[in-house]
Amino acid sequence: MSTAIVIGLNGLSYAFILFLLAAGFSLTFGVMGVINLAHGALFVLGAYVGLEVVARIDNFWVAIAVAALALAVVGFGLYFFFLRHLYNKIPEQAVLTIGIAYMVANVILWIWGPVAQLGHAPGFLTGAFKVGTLSFPIYRLFIIGVGLLILALLWWLQDRTRVGAIIRAGMDNKDMTVSLGINYGLVSTLVFLLGMALAGVAGMLATPILGSYPSMGDNLLLLSLIVVVVGGTGYIQGTMLGALIIGLLDTFGKAYVPEAALFFSYIAFLAVLLIRPSGLIGRKVF
Amino acid sequence: MALLEVRNLSVHFGGLAAVHDLSFVIEQGERLAIIGPNGAGKTTTFNLLTGQLKPSSGEVVFKGEQITHASVFARTHLGMARSFQITSLFPHQTVYVNALIGLQGTQRSRYRMFRPLFKDKALEMAAQELLESTELWDLRGEIASSLAYGQQRKLEMALSLASKPDLLLLDEPSCGLTTTESADITARIAALGSMITVLMIAHDMDLVFGVAERVILMHYGEIAAEGTCDEIRSNQMVRDIYMGSRKTLGHAR
Amino acid sequence: MGDRPDDVAKSDAPRGRARGGIAPTGKGARSFVETGLPVLAIGVVVLLLPLFLPTFVSSLVTKMMIFALFGMSLNLIWGYTGIPSFGHAAFFGLGGYGAGVLVLRVDITNFWLGLLFALLLTAAVAAILGFPAFRVFGVGASDNPIYFLLTTIAFGELLARAAIALRPITGGSTGLAGIPHPDLGFGITVTAGRYYYLVFVIFVVCLFIIYRIVNSHYGYALRGIHDNERRMQALGYNTWLYKYTSWIIAAVFGGVAGVMFAYFGGIMVPNNLSMITSDIAFLVVILGSTTTFFGPIVGSVAFVGVEYLASLYLPERWPLILGSLFVVTIMFIPQGLGVMILKLWRRLLYGAA
Repeated sequence: MSTAIVIGLNGLSYAFILFLLAAGFSLTFGVMGVINLAHGALFVLGAYVGLEVVARIDNFWVAIAVAALALAVVGFGLYFFFLRHLYNKIPEQAVLTIGIAYMVANVILWIWGPVAQLGHAPGFLTGAFKVGTLSFPIYRLFIIGVGLLILALLWWLQDRTRVGAIIRAGMDNKDMTVSLGINYGLVSTLVFLLGMALAGVAGMLATPILGSYPSMGDNLLLLSLIVVVVGGTGYIQGTMLGALIIGLLDTFGKAYVPEAALFFSYIAFLAVLLIRPSGLIGRKVF
Repeated sequence: MALLEVRNLSVHFGGLAAVHDLSFVIEQGERLAIIGPNGAGKTTTFNLLTGQLKPSSGEVVFKGEQITHASVFARTHLGMARSFQITSLFPHQTVYVNALIGLQGTQRSRYRMFRPLFKDKALEMAAQELLESTELWDLRGEIASSLAYGQQRKLEMALSLASKPDLLLLDEPSCGLTTTESADITARIAALGSMITVLMIAHDMDLVFGVAERVILMHYGEIAAEGTCDEIRSNQMVRDIYMGSRKTLGHAR
Repeated sequence: MGDRPDDVAKSDAPRGRARGGIAPTGKGARSFVETGLPVLAIGVVVLLLPLFLPTFVSSLVTKMMIFALFGMSLNLIWGYTGIPSFGHAAFFGLGGYGAGVLVLRVDITNFWLGLLFALLLTAAVAAILGFPAFRVFGVGASDNPIYFLLTTIAFGELLARAAIALRPITGGSTGLAGIPHPDLGFGITVTAGRYYYLVFVIFVVCLFIIYRIVNSHYGYALRGIHDNERRMQALGYNTWLYKYTSWIIAAVFGGVAGVMFAYFGGIMVPNNLSMITSDIAFLVVILGSTTTFFGPIVGSVAFVGVEYLASLYLPERWPLILGSLFVVTIMFIPQGLGVMILKLWRRLLYGAA
């Protein structure tokens, strides 16, 4: 029983890492209909930038801020120079961002080398939380907390703010939204930047758990795709649901049926695409 | 036996009945028009007849065969054809290829994987005939998307006739045309001959009264009035519902 | 390539935007000079190449032919039917693994049996995956194929994971190594030098078959579906059946490329089934152009050429170069090199048009 609780907690914290990983992707893919297959590679870039800051000035929080800023800048370039011109051209967006992913991964390798790096949590977040015989790393609890905070923030942004309203209107009818005199271009650029900044934050936050190595982007990208599609496109709560399902499925699967666990998330992914392409609690964006 | 018989056809979107308990028949060689204000269920009815949409209840019988749940392409093979309101061609192909593709849709050869399309003499003859009859033969080398709008409508018509249908379903055939072009289309439909039965949905009263022998007025998904052109013109309810609105059209007044 | 100059005339654009030189009837009756001559010339050059140039060149050309066929098989569904599959490597890998497993695990060394088995396997898997695939790719989906792209990515990843999991058969994550030189039967074993000619023959045969298919009645129906699927249905075409069958045909040719690749390198790894390899097919097609028949050949020549140069001078930066190849193609030559070459060639022949 107690093992099941620990596995459950592990699964939960993994789910929140997945949520942080996929949140930025979900914003750009689910809300704006831009498919950014460089998301995984950029997430890793965020982690490396953060680690570099930690190595130089040894401040975890500044590192997170710098990672977010760096990715926002890169995201601006990506959106302004490239993706903006490929509106509604899905295969083209996909090919372009695959190219960007290759380039980013290679640049990371160039600058930081092939050796995997592990981030360290700030002192007061290290150690474990003990209840009776159970022990659970504090940093993982911290990740769950940050995940909840970001979920709340995005939820608020989506449902309660003007930006959210504009984005929802744009999803329903972009031309109409534009013709109402709303600067949809500006809003969508900002949302893209927010998505990228989130990837930077999440990338840095995840380093103490996932570590960082240049080629990990592909796997992270596939995970984000799975989480967003399973949960549902268009709503941030869908991403959370997808992250919970995949996180728990994967953790419990690996603990109890390790051979089959390799396939679980892909089977869930395919099943959702076939039965409800817009995801469990999503809306069709395309 | 009626060519097409629609019995108690209904379709619901959510709780809303878009078409409710619709019944009518078309006899061989007849020209029938369905009119009605926007949202009356004309387009929904049209989609039910072409197979684009499946009804919640009721049935559609064509040439004595149940086709209520038949696929779009199966209906074409039985002798139905349709036009599209928004011009629906093969924009990247030449006019000639448009005709060839259109013609082979109901022929067995359409599955041939190893014989060049351009070596099919019978098909080429048929394409020439089709394009000559629609005055597009001289434009056969043009890419369809580069044609003028009126010519595109002609090609649209040619594609609709390519399967040699017994029943032709026309969706707003004069939509977006100039008065002259519209008159031309009217003449063309009128000239189709009695072998082709025509059912059209339309807004343009000139076209309706110029072509149709019988008119059905739809309102709120049901048949509100039915009769000959003269009967419809003089029907008070028709005036109230349709022509009483701001859309006063043609000789209706 | 030189055997049927008229039939391998390669300028029939699937979405025929290039109009110069097309006879007013659209009959595609082109002069021998325009298409036959270049095909013949290239055929002769490729045929005689190994006699005059060092081995590494014929090895490069072999690779070009393999990836050209891989790209053309994808272009059959992408350029012609309008289905941009992102998991085409699934079939490439299946073909290669199929042939390799038969040789190494079942000990059936005959090349033709291996090829046959690999193709049956690819066709069978494609036939099964086609049902879910075309549930996702509904009528008119070429306009917004995103869910289909994701579904096909999942196919490839699932198969790659299966290849990792089925270690006793597939060799697990290290792959299936040690695939021997192909044995053609009658005591003929094809050594490295002669493998070039085997690939050449198979490539030309496949090219000819694909050319016939895309210019057949069926092929034009595929173009029609790309342009306007609803109209095709209204004209009497069972469009699902066309999409489904063209998907299987494309898979089989992708499988042929995979078989040739397996014998070429002697090894298949799980990545040959997944996105990394699908990316190559995608790049080859888009770099060459989706609107010309021969586009993927150009794309493959460019891709393999750049890869070779990179391996000589900047092996470390290859992914960076590969990535920029994607970006440059999409942003600056969206119509592809194939169209550019076609235009250039026609201008050369007929003067400024």
